[in-house]
Amino acid sequence: MSMLRDRLTILTAATAGVFMVVQYFVTSPGMDATYRAILNWMQVIFACALMVGIAAVVKNHIVRLRRRRAERPYSLVLLASVAAMASMGFSGGIDQGSSFLWAFNHLQAPMQATVFSLLAFYVTSAAFRGFRARSVESAVLIAAGLIVLIGRVPLGEQISAQLPAAAEWIVNVPALAAKRAILIGIGLGMVATALKVIAGVERTYLGGR
Amino acid sequence: MRARRIIFALLAVAMIAVMIWRPRLPITVTDSTRAVFAMIDALDSNAVVMISFDHEASSLPEIGPIGAAIADHCFRRGIKVVGLALFSEGNAIGYDLLSRRAIRQGREYGDDWIYLGFRPQYTAAILGMGEDIGEVFATDYLGAPLSRLPLGARVRNYEDIDLVVSVADGSMPTYWIEYAANRYGEKVVAALSAVMVTSFTPYQESGQLAGILTGLKGAAEYEQLLQSPAAGVRGMAAQSAAHVLIALLVLWGNIEAWRSRKRRAA
Repeated sequence: MSMLRDRLTILTAATAGVFMVVQYFVTSPGMDATYRAILNWMQVIFACALMVGIAAVVKNHIVRLRRRRAERPYSLVLLASVAAMASMGFSGGIDQGSSFLWAFNHLQAPMQATVFSLLAFYVTSAAFRGFRARSVESAVLIAAGLIVLIGRVPLGEQISAQLPAAAEWIVNVPALAAKRAILIGIGLGMVATALKVIAGVERTYLGGR
Repeated sequence: MRARRIIFALLAVAMIAVMIWRPRLPITVTDSTRAVFAMIDALDSNAVVMISFDHEASSLPEIGPIGAAIADHCFRRGIKVVGLALFSEGNAIGYDLLSRRAIRQGREYGDDWIYLGFRPQYTAAILGMGEDIGEVFATDYLGAPLSRLPLGARVRNYEDIDLVVSVADGSMPTYWIEYAANRYGEKVVAALSAVMVTSFTPYQESGQLAGILTGLKGAAEYEQLLQSPAAGVRGMAAQSAAHVLIALLVLWGNIEAWRSRKRRAA
């Protein structure tokens, strides 16, 4: 039964993969209609995956609530927040003027922005402790980092007119060359993985079977 | 532990000081920002710009001013705006931002701008809009059928959109490039958080990306070109102070490490 299920899954992935490649080059009314149907299905499957994700998070935190005393308050806050937002959304909608949107704009957004802003403090502390020139290579890296750091803010222009130009050169020449190499590598890797999925060689998406 | 507390305090003092003092630093506009500004400025008043809010709420302080500046520019010039979000968190933020800017510029919902809302699975949404926007978004964010809105009825697919601006804090513009730009020939601009810029410069160099706006600095430059300084320009002093402080701390840390190595060697 399990083998049949795996084969059906591999066949579905291979058929969908081959179809999406072929439809890119061939146009016909039937092909276009199938393509549109697949795009709609992708959205439906993604929406279902979101529901599965919510259920998994809720289940995980219910288990934590029962077993891990130290983490109980956090799980409790999470479950209460999920319940509150869901009930507000289902009862009053998510349109303008709804309590759901009020909670999002006045609670969630500022809280997330605050947590994200705290990164500035940790980055500063980490830079002070971590950026040490222990070799010539690390000294070059730190020097480049400092030039970009100062050269990309208005104060850098006040310190020296050459700083922004140097920062631009670092970003647009050596950093760009490295980034391009990484992107090309990623692209080739994506093509290889896609071909392996279509051919049924790559099977990790089956859950490690 | 003590050093960390001192660093935290120094950064807090630096931030608070510039917020109270509010120094105005001269801002030089980069070629990249100037190019995006010129691109939008060259559109005629009947053109349609699609602004996609592809970011989370956490990056709003950095990314929000760019979205606001672009919306201001479009509304000021009478360019039609189609808003949407491919990140659920960007949905409410995008609608709120566009509606405030539209009211300020006296633009009417339905005629001058519409907001499509959020669709999950961005790949399918971007590809689907290349075929038929009405099929991906049958109704707008407020629940009105798209075909009943004058602007909604006018935009069928990317052929009716002159420019797409993805306001993003992650890799979403990659999908706009791969599916809207490469497949449908749509012109795409990425308004990014500063940390993401290096990832997208290769696309700009290859011509797949029409332009890039860089973080809060990009917003400040755009506001300068619009001649209406706002959150971007205000944020430049704080960002400058933080960057200089980090640079000084790195130098200080290295000098201290070098001196302690010297002492140990002696």
